[in-house]
Parts: sequence; structure tokens; C-alpha cells
Amino acid sequence: MERSGQSEKRSWMRSVLTDIQFWVPVVVLIGGLLLLTAIH
Amino acid sequence: MQPVATAEIPSSDQDTPRLRKLQALGVLCGFTAGAWLGAAEAPTKLVAVGVSPVVISLIMVIGVFLARWSLPALILGTSSIHADVRRAPHLIIWAILAGCLWAVANTLTIFAIRDIGLSIAFPLWNSNSLLGIFWGFVFFNELRQAGWRRWTGVLGGALVMCAGAALLAVASSAQAPAAHPMRGVWAALGAGIIWGTMYIPYRKAYLTGMNPLSFVTFFTFGELGMMGALAVSYVGVLPLWHELLRARDVLFWLMLGGFIWVIGDLFQQYAAKYVGISRGIPLSNTNQLWGLLWGVFVFGELHGRNASLYAQVIGGSLLMMLGVGAIAFSSATGKEHMRWKEAARREAQRYGIAADDVEARMEGRQATGEVKPARSALDWLLVIGASSIFVFFGAIARVPQISANWAPAVLLGAALLLFFLICGLTLWRTTRFQ
Repeated sequence: MERSGQSEKRSWMRSVLTDIQFWVPVVVLIGGLLLLTAIH
Repeated sequence: MQPVATAEIPSSDQDTPRLRKLQALGVLCGFTAGAWLGAAEAPTKLVAVGVSPVVISLIMVIGVFLARWSLPALILGTSSIHADVRRAPHLIIWAILAGCLWAVANTLTIFAIRDIGLSIAFPLWNSNSLLGIFWGFVFFNELRQAGWRRWTGVLGGALVMCAGAALLAVASSAQAPAAHPMRGVWAALGAGIIWGTMYIPYRKAYLTGMNPLSFVTFFTFGELGMMGALAVSYVGVLPLWHELLRARDVLFWLMLGGFIWVIGDLFQQYAAKYVGISRGIPLSNTNQLWGLLWGVFVFGELHGRNASLYAQVIGGSLLMMLGVGAIAFSSATGKEHMRWKEAARREAQRYGIAADDVEARMEGRQATGEVKPARSALDWLLVIGASSIFVFFGAIARVPQISANWAPAVLLGAALLLFFLICGLTLWRTTRFQ
């Protein structure tokens, strides 16, 4: 049961990490943090 | 991911009365969001200068955090949040990511205002609505098969609103400091890009049926975590603590600003859910108009200024209202709504969410067999805890000695309450806050 839960968690994590729509905000967030560091 | 229970989402509806009702509800939520988000600035105006901008932002976010946990607990109960998390656990990551984006964008706006003034900064970051339209079109099928009239209404309306916002911002700024103009422009543009992109997680959550009340509960962890990290790294732990202690008698007003902001944001979330981000964001960007009303009538910001300035204000306001009207009358048709459902089907298949659940939540109702949300002792503890913190800071707060016109403040407050009651009641009757 526990193993099934873990594999389900891995599965949705994989779905998130392979979703291009996830990486667009991540890249923008990193860009925003770099911009903040540059102008601070 | 299991391809279970992701049967075809029924694709039979055209312009059904239910769809029209939900679209009208989304538009109403957008207007209400604008009114409350604009009013959120009012309590912060009561705070005298002397607290650093990063600390002001952090304290507001603490108020936001308290409100984001207590309001959902009061409205639906945490059992509803648990049910949402069990159904679509991946959305926690999206909500936290959106919260982090918000905190970075908000901090950038502080630098933008400092360097180029509100007049240039505000229209630059208000361009987030144009980016929202772009992401809505590219990722979520918004405005697909919408027809040129609706395209003109939404895109034209957003552009007219940007022009109106620019005029208002120029008029409402007393003077524009320009110590580091390019740095300020980059900061404002960066904030606009980040806020425009933040709506990707919003839309993603609502296409897969997450309740806005659940989304904001996790959103706030990203918000507070990122804002706390930024405040510590820019100010330092001990100086931050000392500054918080020094500012203890104004903490309440800043937290109150955060609380009001949360109410506006909740309505903005429902607007994003029911009219999409391409229409929801421009509608809630009317907050600038409301902020101006508070500034001019309550705090006398433009008192004694020349006639051309008032002409700018009236012109900018009319332009904004024109743009808003164009967007409000460009609701999605049945055909466009079918394309939204395609995007929802893609999400449901990718993340293994039951098609019935997605369909039901998109229509603002509970899925068959879904347990009705109920409040528990934990919910009441959250509400009492958050209220006690507010009461405590209210008790030690200093009443600010500023000149404000209280009659317009009462009128604007009454308008806020009216919006809140009408929109809240309509949301309850139509969707039971789903």
C-alpha cells in the first residue's frame, strides 16, 4: 500500500517535471531573482 | 500516470444558460476584485514613513498569510482543502510556485517605484494583462474560436486600459524620482512579466477543478517563504527583528491592508476560474482606478492641483472604464468554452484526474459522490487564532494622526461592502464557492 502511494507520488512528480507549462514560470522566477540581485 | 477515469469530458454544451451565468459571475468577481485590491492600499497610507519597503511588504504578507488560512477555513472548512489535495496533489507545487512569483514581483515593484516613480512603473507592470492574454491563448485555448469581435473586445480593451492606466499614473504621481531610470524600468517590466506568468499556475489549477480557496491556502506558503527569505537576505535577521519591534504600533494597519488584499485576490481567483486569465486579469486591474478614488477623495492627494491634471484623471478613468466595458461584454461563447474543455481534458489526462470531477468543478458544482464540505474544530481554531492575532496588534496599534476625509471613506467602504455582499451571495448561490 505504502509502495503504491510512493509510486503514485513519483508519478505525479514526473508529470509535473515533464510539463513545459511548469518550466515557463520556473524560468521566469529564476530570471526575476537574478534581476532582483542585479538591481539591489 | 494512470490513465484511469479520464474518459472524454462531455462536449455537448454550446451557449447554455449555465455557461452564461458563470461568465457573468466571473465578470462580477473581476469588478469586485478590482474594488478590494484597490482599497488594500488605503490602510498602508496610514503608516508614516520610517519603515523600509521590504519590511512593509513582509508585514503585509504576514497579514495575507493569516487571512489566507482563516478565510477558507471559515467559508468552506479545511476538509474541503484536504479533499482537493487528495484529488490533485500536484497542484500544491503550482500554488507554491505562484506564491514565490508574487513575492518576487511585489519586491520588484518597490524598487521600480523608488527609481522611476509610480507614474511610469504602474503602466509598465500593468502590462501583465497582455502577457496573461498571451499565455491564456497559447497554453489554455482561451480566445480560440472566439471570433474577431471578442478578440477586438479583449485585446483592444486591455490596450485601452493600459493607456488609461498610464494617464492615471502620470496624473497621480506628484513627482517622479529618477535616480536610476533604467534600473526602475527593468524592475517594473520584470514585475509585469512575473505577474503575467503567475497566472499560468492559476489557470492550470482551475482548469483541473481546484477550488480557489484551496489554491490560495498553499499559494501563501510560497508567498510568505519567499518574502521572508528576501527580507532576511536584504535586511538581515537582527536588523529585521529590530525594525519589526520599532514598527509594532503600525503593524496592524499593514496587516489590515494584507487582509483586505486577500479578499480582493479571492475574487480575482474566482474571476480567473470562470472567465479565464485573458479577461479576469484586465478586469481586476481596475484596482488602479479604485486606488485613485481613495487617494483623491479620502487622502486629498490631488487637492489644489491645476485643471489639466483633473482632465488627465477624468480622461484616464474614462479610458479604463471603456476598456473594462469592452472586456466585460466579450465573454466566452460556447465554441470557445469547448476549447477550454479541451485544455482541461489534456490536464486531466496528464495528471490522472477524474473527468467527472474536472467537468463538475468547471461548471462550479460538486462532483457526484463528493462529500459536502463541513467545518471542524480545527477550522474554528484557525479562525479564532487569526482573529486573536489581529485583535492583539489592533490593541497595541497607534491611531494615526493624519488628515483624511471620512465621509468619502464611509461611502467607498459602503461600496466595497455592497460589492462584497452582492458578489459573495451570487458566488454562494451559483457555485457554493466551488
